[in-house]
Order: sequence, then structure tokens, then C-alpha cells
Amino acid sequence: MVHQLLPIAAVDFNTLPQQLVLGIGIGAVYALVALGYTMVYGVLKLINFAHAEVFMLGAYTALFTAWYLGFSPQSLQALERESSWLNLLIMLLASMVICAIIGVIIERFAYRPMRSQPRIAILITAIGVSLLLQYGGALFLPVSPPPSIDERVNPYRGAYTITLSRPSDRLLGQKEELERQYQESNVAFEKQLEKEKSRFDLSPQGIALRNAKQEAERALRKVTDEIAASGRELKLPRGQMIMLGATLILMLILRHLVLYTRTGRAMRAASHDFDTASLMGISVDKIVTVTFIIGSALAGAGAMMQATFIGTPLTTFYGVSLGVKAFVAAVLGGIGNIPGAVLGAMVLAIAETLVVWADGSKWKDAIAFVILIAVLLFKPGGLLGSSKVEKV
Amino acid sequence: MNWGVRAVSIVAAVGFCFLIQTVSLGFGADIQRLIALAGLYVTLAVSLNLINGITGQFSIGHAAFYMIGAYTTGYLSIQFLKNSGMPGPVWLLLMMLAGAIMASLAGLVVGLPSLRLKGDYLAIVTLGFGEIVRIIVVNSPFDVSFFGVFKFFTFPNLGGAYALDKIPAIRELWLIWLLAVVCIAVCRNLLKTAHGLAFLSVREDEVASLAMGVNVTRIKVTAFMIGSAFAGAAGALLAHYETSILPSTFAMDVSFIILTMVVLGGTGSITGSALAAITLFALPEVLRRNKEPVTGGTFLAIVIGVIAAVVLIRWFQNEYHGSKNKKTAGYFASVAASAIVAFGLTFALNAIPALHDKAFEGSKLRMVIFAGSLIIVMLIRPEGVFAHHEFSWTWLKKVLRIKPKSEALAT
Repeated sequence: MVHQLLPIAAVDFNTLPQQLVLGIGIGAVYALVALGYTMVYGVLKLINFAHAEVFMLGAYTALFTAWYLGFSPQSLQALERESSWLNLLIMLLASMVICAIIGVIIERFAYRPMRSQPRIAILITAIGVSLLLQYGGALFLPVSPPPSIDERVNPYRGAYTITLSRPSDRLLGQKEELERQYQESNVAFEKQLEKEKSRFDLSPQGIALRNAKQEAERALRKVTDEIAASGRELKLPRGQMIMLGATLILMLILRHLVLYTRTGRAMRAASHDFDTASLMGISVDKIVTVTFIIGSALAGAGAMMQATFIGTPLTTFYGVSLGVKAFVAAVLGGIGNIPGAVLGAMVLAIAETLVVWADGSKWKDAIAFVILIAVLLFKPGGLLGSSKVEKV
Repeated sequence: MNWGVRAVSIVAAVGFCFLIQTVSLGFGADIQRLIALAGLYVTLAVSLNLINGITGQFSIGHAAFYMIGAYTTGYLSIQFLKNSGMPGPVWLLLMMLAGAIMASLAGLVVGLPSLRLKGDYLAIVTLGFGEIVRIIVVNSPFDVSFFGVFKFFTFPNLGGAYALDKIPAIRELWLIWLLAVVCIAVCRNLLKTAHGLAFLSVREDEVASLAMGVNVTRIKVTAFMIGSAFAGAAGALLAHYETSILPSTFAMDVSFIILTMVVLGGTGSITGSALAAITLFALPEVLRRNKEPVTGGTFLAIVIGVIAAVVLIRWFQNEYHGSKNKKTAGYFASVAASAIVAFGLTFALNAIPALHDKAFEGSKLRMVIFAGSLIIVMLIRPEGVFAHHEFSWTWLKKVLRIKPKSEALAT
């Protein structure tokens, strides 16, 4: 056994596959948000700080849609019927559409007038929009107490269980035997208890029976623990499976859009060289709008899934920490590079869960930046990006 | 400039600091604290301006250096001040030096990757560095070890996520403002020397300045070290003024606010950074004191008025081709017109019951106004209020229509 050789106290290799499954689920959301950052950066060379707030507004849209569909706090007491997959789909589409609209509005009124200005000025505008949505949103959106989407809106709760390795038959037989013994001693003790005056004042015979019962219970618990340690199960939460599936479908659609359509080709051209693309007859304004629509809609999808399947309470700062991490993921993979964003998101999410698994949960937020700095020092363009050497 | 002017400037600067101290003694403790913090923000903004505006290295993690200075000196003061028996101000000067040294070492660590990274990548590394520093402090104390096997040392307890408190209070307002003045003087004088031109050349074109024999690496690292040293010294002053410091005081948005001060004042302009620091620091504080509720109608009317003003001013800027004076008149006219519209709308909209009954607390609006003014300034003057201009006596004389004695003085 490896973990007996290494003096790493809290590492339990039996739980590793489970942690990896959770990590990939988190990575799916990171990836959806990171795509928005990377696409906007690719075309406009702008760190869109307001993207995290688009994500936050997407989560609120999902919340309001859920309320509208009859899952609001007021109606929930009387609620008997089960939700259906249709509700989830409506929430997803609502979030994506509203986020796309918000993204386009932000681009049209805050970024487009600034496009000819130095990039730092646009960046400050982006920070301004981000702050405005955080604090302005708090004036109108419900924030205290932080609302969260009721889990009953999701009809697919629970988890699939996959048994990786079964405990030995000997242990299982032992457990059966001990269970029988425990039941017998328990029945005997209960019978004796009826004759006794009280539970706390036992005759010598009663004490003997009680001790026998406790002995049997202890032995049973020991075997149960042994079984738990030797058997490996993988719990696949059904919500997370849906998340992964939906992310995969969205990625395939995105891939098709970017690689095999005229708009996608124009987008790649604008990303490669903005000025030349406009000279070649590409309407760059239209392309930027399309980029914002796609990026924001993906963020909306991620927000809806995070808010519904993971179910954390919403505030107007909901997107901040996730936004920073998604952006780090985009840079890690090579910013402007679409497969890179997904790869970076997965690396980051898995690294985070591994840190938590190795009992370093308080370093969870730092690991993202440590990996980022380490990668950038050796590969300044990111994992899949190419760093161009400036030629004169 | 001769020695006489120099001596007068130094005396005037020190006198100015003591004047601030004397004036602020007349106010209550909370106003004094605001004056002190404003001085610290001036230092922070001007020192970030050296990295960001003058050398052109995009750093958005300035709060990390501020934090390193504050925590280092706070810890040292708790440990050693009682035993040293030194008078407060002397100890504070020593601590400022210690904070500056620690922060500039950190600046060296951050400056080194900047040799390979450019623009946004460097920005992200500085952002990440800031977060790492904050998380290290939040997690303290902890053992530094190799997977729990070899224990090297224990990182000292810096209060964790709670405050590092009971720092001995040494409140010297004049020292805070003196640091700001010194920071401004160092940056200004640097720009007047050949070294300063090297800093500017790195900002304008790295490759060209390399070809001209400028040691780009050294310039970048020097800029990082000087800038972070001032931030560290400011941190030392903060720790001893507040006596209790929190990791959340130095979170990412503080870095963003300092960056905003630099950009809003005009990237590269020391005057702009200093004035923007004071204005942007004062704006939310003034709004925080405003407890009066604002009705929904008034709020909406003001929003509409501001949008109208921005649209009109942008129209005059981009579409209107008149003389300069006519343009300026156009700006004033558009502001006046939108003010009148907003005023009229206030009455009209407040007549609607739904808008009249919805009230916002003035203090809750402060960050909204802050963010809104940020966007507005960027939309109508993206190069910052002062652009690349500096305050100078020549400029003042020009404004006051005093003829300069010799043409050589004109900059």
C-alpha cells in the first residue's frame, strides 16, 4: 500500500477517484466561463472583467425563472408535483438568452465607444462596469438573505453508484454472522430490560447481557469499517453528470460554429489580425457582437448549472472568485485559444480538488495562481498558446 | 534649478506636512484618519504610477506590497518595540525602512518574471502574486515542510483571517504626508534625469530602447523595486496608524482602486495620480456620510441626466467641427441642458407613486456612484483627467498670464 510507505497523513487513495469526478464537474463550469474570457480576449485583446458579473446575472436569471416556474419560497410549501427536465431546459435557455443580451449591451455601450482608445482605458472601463453591476445589482436584486435555487427544481437528484472493487466474501460473511449475533444479544437485553426496574439500575444478569450486546456492537462496527476501507465505490452525482453532458454538447456546438461556419471563420480571422480582417471585408463590429453573444451565453449556461446543481446561495458577488479562476484557467491554457481554455479549466479544477484531497483545503484558492505563475515562467504563452517573438 | 530654489522647496514641503498635521488636529479623530489614509493613497497611487504609467509595466497587484509592508512592520513592532525603548517617531522611521526593504525584495521577485512576460500576462502574474500573499497571511501560522516530512520552520502567526491587532499606535500625520511628498519628489526628479528618460523609453518602445543601449531588464526591475518600496513604507505607516490590520483591507479591489487612480489621473502624470488619489478616496467617504435616502424617481432622473450629458459631450467631441471655444461652450451647454432635464424629470418621475416609494440609502449608492463616475470619465476623457501633463510653475504662470523671464524655462 502506497499510503503506508509515504508518511502523508491525510491522503487516502481510496477516495481519489471520487475526488477526480468532482474535480471534472467543477472544471466544466470553469471551462464554460473561461471560454467567454478567451474568446473576447482573442478578438478584442481585452480582459473582460465584467464577464464574472454576466455570470452572476445568469445565476439570478435562473433563480427568477425557477420562481416563475413555481419553485419560489412562497409556493414551495404547497408544492407536491415533481419537477421535470423541461423546467431545467427552460432555465438554461433563459439564462443563456438573458446573458447574451446583457453581454451585447455591455459591449455596445461601454466597450465599443472605447475601441480606438489605449487598452488600459478599456480595462478600467471593464472594471467600472464590473463594479457597477456588483453594487448596482445589489440595489435591485434580492441579496439578503442570499436566495438559492431550491434543489427540488432538479428532478435528477442522488447519485449513480459504481462499485470499483468489492470487499472479500470472508469479510461479508463475517459481517452477516456478527449482525445476527448483535440482533440476538439485543433482543436478549431488551427482554431482560422489561424485568428490570430501570435502564440505569441493572441486576448483575442485566449488566452481563448489556456487556454482551456492547461487545457484539463493537465487533460489528469494526468489520463494517474494514469493509468500507476495502470496498471502493464511485458515486456519480446525477446533477454533475447532466452538467458534464450539457457542457460537452455546448462545446461541440461551439466547435462546429467556430470551425465550420462563415461566422466562425470570420471570428478566427478577426482574432488573428483585427485590422486586416476588417480590410478583407469582414464586418468586425458584427463579429465582436457575435463573440460577446457566444461568450456570455456560455457563461449563462455555466451559471445556471452551478446555481442549480451545486446550489450555493446567490449574492451580487457570486461571480467574483469564479471569474478570477476562470480567467486564470484561460491564461493557463493560452489566452485566445479555445481548446486551451477547456484544458486550463480542467487542469485547474483537478489541481484544486487534489489539494483539498491532500488535506490542504486552506490553500485551495492559492494553487490556481501558483500553477499559473509556474507555467507562465516556463511557457509564457500558456499551455497551448504560442508566444510570439517580437521582430523588428 | 539652483540650490536656493531647492532649499526653499524642501522647507516648503516639510512645512506643508506640519501644516496638515496642525490643521488636522482641529478635527475629530475620524476626519484625522481620513486625512492620514488620503496621504497613504497618494503615496500608493504615485508609486504605482512609476511602475504603470512611467515604465509601462502593467501591474495590478500593488496592494500586495502595501500588505507586505504593513504585516512585516506590524509583526516586528509587536515583538520588539517594548524592548527597544526607542521613541515612537524614530521607531516608525526604522519600520518604514524595514517595510520598504521587505516590499522591494518582493518587488524584485515580481519584477524578475516581468523580463519574460508582457502586458496582460504580467498583469495576471502580479494579480496572482497579490492573492498568494493574501492567502499566506490568512493561513498563518503554518508549518513549512516537505509533505509533512521535513519541517523547515513555522511561519509566524499574523492573525490569520482575523486582525493582526495590538500593534503599538504611533500616529504621525506629518510623516504620512512627508512620505507622499518624498514619493512625488523622487518620481518627479527621476523623470528629469537621464535615468528617467530610460524609464520612459521602456514604456514607449522596449525593442527600440534596447537597441539604443538601455538595459531594459534593469529598468523594469528598478521600477518595480522603487514602486513597491514606497508601497511598503506606506504599509508600515498604515499598520501603526490603524493598530489593527486585516487581510481583507488589502484585497484585490484595493489594487484595482489604486490602478483606477493612476489611470483616471492620467497615465504617467504624477500630478494626476496624486489628485485622483485624493478625489477618489474622498468621494466614497463623503457619500458614506450621506444618510439621506434617495427616492427612486430622483435616482432615475439623475441617471437619465448623466447619460444625456455623456451622449451630448461625446457628440460634441466626435461629430462637431467648430472652433475650440465653441466646443468648450458646447460641453458646458450640454452639461447645463442635462442638468435642467434631470431637474425637471425629478418632479415628473417622483409623481409616479411606484418610483416615489422606492427609496435607496445614500450610503448604499456610494460604490454605484464610484463605478459610474469611472465609466463616465473613461468615456469622455479616456486619457485621464490630466493626460500626460504635469503641474509646473511655468504652466501656472501661463495660466495667470505672467510672462516667463526666459524662453528656456518653457517645457
